[in-house]
Amino acid sequence: MIYIIDHKDSFTHNIVHQFSKFDKQVECENFNNINIKQLNKADVLVLSPGPGSPINYPETSMIYKKFKKKKKIIGICLGFQQILFNENAKIIQQNKIYHGFQSSVKVTSNYSLFKKNKEFKVGRYHSLKLKEPFFSNNFEITMRCKISDVAMAIENQTDQIYGFQFHPESFLTENGNLLIKKILSA
Amino acid sequence: MKKNNYLEKLYNSKKPFIIYKVNGGYDLYTDFSKKLFLHNKNINKFFNKIKKNKNKNSFLDLYIGFFGYEILCNLNNVKIPKQRDIKFPKSIFYKPETKIKIRKNITIKSSHKNYRELFDKKIFSKNKILTAFKINIDINKYKNIFNQFSKKIKEGETYQIKICTKYKNKSLINPVNFFWRLMKTNAAPESFMIRDKNFSIVSCSPETLIEKTGNKIKTKPIAGTWRKTRTTNMRKALSFFKNNIKETKEHNMIVDMERSDMSKICKPGTVKLSKIKYVEEYKHLYHYVTKIKGIIKKNITTKDIIVAMMPGGSVIGCPKISTLNLLNLQEKESRNIFTGSFGIIKFNGDMRFNIIIRSILNFKNTSEISVASGVVIDSTANHEFKENYIKAKSLIDLYR
Repeated sequence: MIYIIDHKDSFTHNIVHQFSKFDKQVECENFNNINIKQLNKADVLVLSPGPGSPINYPETSMIYKKFKKKKKIIGICLGFQQILFNENAKIIQQNKIYHGFQSSVKVTSNYSLFKKNKEFKVGRYHSLKLKEPFFSNNFEITMRCKISDVAMAIENQTDQIYGFQFHPESFLTENGNLLIKKILSA
Repeated sequence: MKKNNYLEKLYNSKKPFIIYKVNGGYDLYTDFSKKLFLHNKNINKFFNKIKKNKNKNSFLDLYIGFFGYEILCNLNNVKIPKQRDIKFPKSIFYKPETKIKIRKNITIKSSHKNYRELFDKKIFSKNKILTAFKINIDINKYKNIFNQFSKKIKEGETYQIKICTKYKNKSLINPVNFFWRLMKTNAAPESFMIRDKNFSIVSCSPETLIEKTGNKIKTKPIAGTWRKTRTTNMRKALSFFKNNIKETKEHNMIVDMERSDMSKICKPGTVKLSKIKYVEEYKHLYHYVTKIKGIIKKNITTKDIIVAMMPGGSVIGCPKISTLNLLNLQEKESRNIFTGSFGIIKFNGDMRFNIIIRSILNFKNTSEISVASGVVIDSTANHEFKENYIKAKSLIDLYR
C-alpha cells in the first residue's frame, strides 16, 4: 500500500493516479488529517508537493523522522525539500523561478537507479531550491538541471529514500511513469 | 435570428427567464415553479434532493442557476473574512416548467398548459446610464497588490494568482437588449443571461468548467490571452502563445491543476488531455485552450464533483486552496457571482457548468463587471492591468 501525504496542493491527485498504476491501494490524506492506522500499514510513504517551505509543515517532518528506514519514502517538489530539510539541508529562494516550465535534467551520478548521463524532459513548479554544498550520510544528488545545475533528484538507496524536485506526474514530464516504476520496484 | 411573437411578448413581460447558449442556438427556460436560495446551511439538502430524484429524466427535470464565489469557497472549507458586500444572493437555482429552443426554428415545450397566457402588461425598459464606469482598484493600488503577490510567488506560497478588478456604474439596463447585442458580436460558447425581478446577469463567458454526461466528464480550461488587432490571425496567435514562455507556463500550470482536480473524482488512468494547447478566437482577443476528459469513479456524488472542480482553477490561480486564502485576505469587496459557476444540474446527475467571467451583474441599479488576470513570476503590473481592460471591453461597449 502507498500512503500519500497531501500538502493541500493542486497537483497531488495526478500523483495519486500515477502511483495507482503500480499499486491497487493508494491512500491520500491531508498533512493535518493523517490516518495513523492506514499510514502504519503502508509500505511506501509519498510526500506531496505543496505551497510554502518545509519549515511550514512540522507534522510532516515528524512523520518523516518516525518512518525513515522503516518505509520507502518518496518526496516530490516540496516533498523533496522536506526530505532534505530533515537531513539538515538549507532550502532557499532561487533567482530564476520555474513554474510550469519544461526543462531538461541529466543523471549526474554513478550511484543512481538511472543510467549516468541519461536525460529527461521534466515539468517544474518550484520557487525554492536546495542550498549547496549539501552532504548527508548515504544521500546522493543524482540528477541536475542541464542549464542551471540545480539539484533535481536525490537517492538514498541504503535507506530507500528518493526525491524529485521536478514533477514526475506532470504532463510536461516525459517518461514520468518509468521514473516512479523504477523507484517502486527498487 | 427570426422574430417570434411569443418571444417578443415574453421579453416585454416581467416574467423571469434564463437563456443559455448551446451548440447551434440558445435554450430559454422560464415559468419557474421553484426558486431556491442556497447558502451553507441548506446546500447539502439541495444536493440530496437531486439524488432522490435521480430516476426522473424528462427534459424539464433539472435545476438551472448559479453558485457564487463565496459559497464555492465555503464548500472547500475556505472562509472569507468580512468584506464590503451588496447582499446579493450567494446562490440561486430555479426549476423551470417551460423550455424554448431557439434555433433556426423555435420550439416550445412546457408542463404548463396555458403557458402563453401567463403574460402581464407590456413593460419596455430602456437602458439608462446614470454614472460613468469607475474602477475599484487604480493602477497604483494594482501595482501594490501585484508586488505583494510577486513576493508570495518567490516564497513559494502560490505559483500563479489572479488579481480581480471591478468596474462599476449606476445604471438601469434592459438585459434582453444587452444580451442579444452582445451575442451579435461575441457569442461565446458559455454565454447566458438571467432576468429576474430584482437583478439581471448578462454574460459572454468562454469557459466550460464541467460537462458531464453519464459517467463521462470534460473540462476546457482557458489560460492565455492575446489582444486582437487588424494584423493578427489564428495562426499568428498560436505562434504567439507557443513562443511566449510566460503564457505557456501559465497555461501548463492550469492544465496540471485541472488534471488533478479531475483526478479526485475520476477513475485512475482515465484522465486524459483530449486537445492540447489550441487557440479560440473571440471579438477582441484570442485564448489559449486545452480540453481534458475523464471517467467518473463509482459512488461519486454531484457534490463531490462540484467541490473538486469549483471554483474553476484557471480564474483563481495555483495551488487552489492557498491561493484562495491569499486572495480572500487581500480583497476588500465581495466577488458576488464573479468566478462562481452558472449552469444546469439534471436530476439524473448530468451537468453543464461554466465559469462566470465576462459578466455584468445588475443589482440595485448598479452594474458591476469584474475581471482578473494572472500574476506569475514574469508578468508585469502594467501588462496585466491592461489585459483586465481588454477582457471587460466587449461588455463596457454595451453601455455606449
